[in-house]
Amino acid sequence: MTIPIINTGDSSGLVACTHDYQVRCGNCRLNSLCLPLALESEDIEQLDSIIQRSKPLQKSNHLYREGDAFQSVFAVRSGTLKAYKTTDDGREQVTGFYFPGEIVGMDGISNNTHASSAKALETSALCEIPFTSLERLSTLMPSLQRHFFQLMSREITADQQLITLLSKNSADERVAALLLSISTRNSRRKLSATHFRLPMSRVDIGNYLGLTVETVSRVFSRMQKMDVLRVDNKEIEILDIEGLRGVAEIG
Amino acid sequence: MPNPVTTAPNAAAASQNTLNQLALAEKYACQGPRYTSYPTAPHFRDDFNVQQYIDWQMQVSSQESAPLSLYVHIPFCRDICYYCACNKIVTRKKGVAREYLNRLFHEIEIQSRLVGSHRPITQMHWGGGTPTFLDNAEITELMHTLASHFRLLDKGYREYSIELDPRTVDAATIALLKGIGFNRISLGIQDFDPLVQKSINRTQSLSSVSKLVESIRAHEFRSLSFDLIYGLPHQDRHTMAETLRKVVQLKPDRIACYNYAHLPERFSSQRAIDRLTLPEPHEKLLLHQIISDTLQDAGYQHIGMDHFVLPQDELAMAQAEGRLQRNFQGYSLQMADDLLGLGVSSISQLGDFYLQNERHLDDYYLRLDRGELPLAKGCRMNQDDRLRKHIIMSLICELQLDTTECNDQFGVDFNSLFSQQLLALLPMERDGIVKIHPHRIVVTDNGRPFLRNICMLFDAYLPKAASEAQTGYSKTV
Repeated sequence: MTIPIINTGDSSGLVACTHDYQVRCGNCRLNSLCLPLALESEDIEQLDSIIQRSKPLQKSNHLYREGDAFQSVFAVRSGTLKAYKTTDDGREQVTGFYFPGEIVGMDGISNNTHASSAKALETSALCEIPFTSLERLSTLMPSLQRHFFQLMSREITADQQLITLLSKNSADERVAALLLSISTRNSRRKLSATHFRLPMSRVDIGNYLGLTVETVSRVFSRMQKMDVLRVDNKEIEILDIEGLRGVAEIG
Repeated sequence: MPNPVTTAPNAAAASQNTLNQLALAEKYACQGPRYTSYPTAPHFRDDFNVQQYIDWQMQVSSQESAPLSLYVHIPFCRDICYYCACNKIVTRKKGVAREYLNRLFHEIEIQSRLVGSHRPITQMHWGGGTPTFLDNAEITELMHTLASHFRLLDKGYREYSIELDPRTVDAATIALLKGIGFNRISLGIQDFDPLVQKSINRTQSLSSVSKLVESIRAHEFRSLSFDLIYGLPHQDRHTMAETLRKVVQLKPDRIACYNYAHLPERFSSQRAIDRLTLPEPHEKLLLHQIISDTLQDAGYQHIGMDHFVLPQDELAMAQAEGRLQRNFQGYSLQMADDLLGLGVSSISQLGDFYLQNERHLDDYYLRLDRGELPLAKGCRMNQDDRLRKHIIMSLICELQLDTTECNDQFGVDFNSLFSQQLLALLPMERDGIVKIHPHRIVVTDNGRPFLRNICMLFDAYLPKAASEAQTGYSKTV
């Protein structure tokens, strides 16, 4: 559950592979976000033993599809995934984006089948955590279980807040809320809260927020004019975070 | 909003009624049970035969597919509210919630095996203490555990409610509660006056409450309920009018008003309240009257026992259709006959049995650690209890009693069995509280504040001179 430690600026000329999917939980830079929070090192080893690290998932490939049997949850180590459902008339409805340190796949817990599909938006490394092993381990490690419920509650909360956002708010408020959410999630990973690259397309953003692509683009240019954002294709710089909060109306 | 105590010329008629009601309140003020059960909890017995209950449950539970209602008790509070007489533990110690949840999960496991895991849970209520003493992860875990041991429903008609202390929750928790299946919220407001709040150690600003209400509405909870208390220190007609103005502005669907009973010798936290700051008895009756008048002027309907609801609320409609019930959580829709209480001090009503869990945490833990049901007290209703329960609950919920129905259902002759009570009702009829018809006893609109007085006539467990105050019950009005 990890982004490996990258030797940036190392003069030795050795560049560590940024997708070293074999990094163990104990050495993982994301381990405060991901499952092993507050675990003793011995516990981490136990957890490590149930985690399966597979080859990175290539862009546009599926991690699982709607209706697949639920067996595992996944921690994102690098890259980004989107979750989506297929509506009755065959259209795609994006239901969420998942960044490093976040857990994807919990939609399968209640019914034992995945309620949505998950697809990589860019090359992504994942740690697979078989749910039965996790349940077994949780009974031995109360703090693991607690952390798992914390993640679950965060997921449910985000979902509910999105539903509320979509049912009430204007296009500007929706876009601002998404940007703020990405900003907060970046700063949780100790990355810049104000300067980031959007991993998803305008189409996905529009789909997720229930807006047309044109509207999303118009909102971006409006916020540029207001000097709240600087937008260069997928590169986003938040110039006025208070201003953005004002737009999102989530003081 | 008309102020009911001033005598504006156009309110002359209304104020005459107010004066009449005040005179009646003065006359009928006495102590009595709130009838959240019959027999009432003080009459449950320690020497109750638990095995008899278990045998009965084993016999019925396997075929039982009737709906079930759940109550979950979280006894902890972060701060003490001086007025509170609930069974609670004030603490900020880390780990107490965990310790409790471990035992509660054990109880859930035992009870789901005994009572049946397949019965649809049409109603659920989390009370306390403060249910949101639990953090978001613990709340999720508790709901997850309940869902893995009982058949929770995602149907729109389910009533899943939780009590919130506005000081302990933010918008994120509201979102979570909605996400895990709650669709009703009840907020402990008590009073909006800063001095009153300070004197009961419960400071919560109007702005924080209205923000919360906004977020509850945004998440489309099906109903929002406020709890208010009258008779608190420093309350008077002016502060009450102001509190009610704010309440009415926030427009909760339901409002429950409670009478503060100052019993410092029984509840130590109440010793922090200066007796001299409490409203005088006459002023308190006036406060009660102001609440009743103001809320009804604002369009609320008094369904009884100081519960007020908006006319479009399900409770108002249910009362008209005779689908209202009263149990330990107050009034609700009649969806399940059986109620299973989980957690320390919780009360269950299953079949003919009333059961209460151990009231002290140590005892509750000890019993569960031994693998036993944590029951402390109980009572099995006999035929007479059932008849009287039917009478009392009909009066409280439907505001009337069909005596022919009593005769048919219980094979009795109501008029001869309760001739004493019928005689005692006569002066009440003269006071305009009830109306006695040949086969019906009807509680009048003016009689709603005196429901407890009417019901007490039919309570076989009250000492004969029920009006003499020695029972420790709170005042009826």
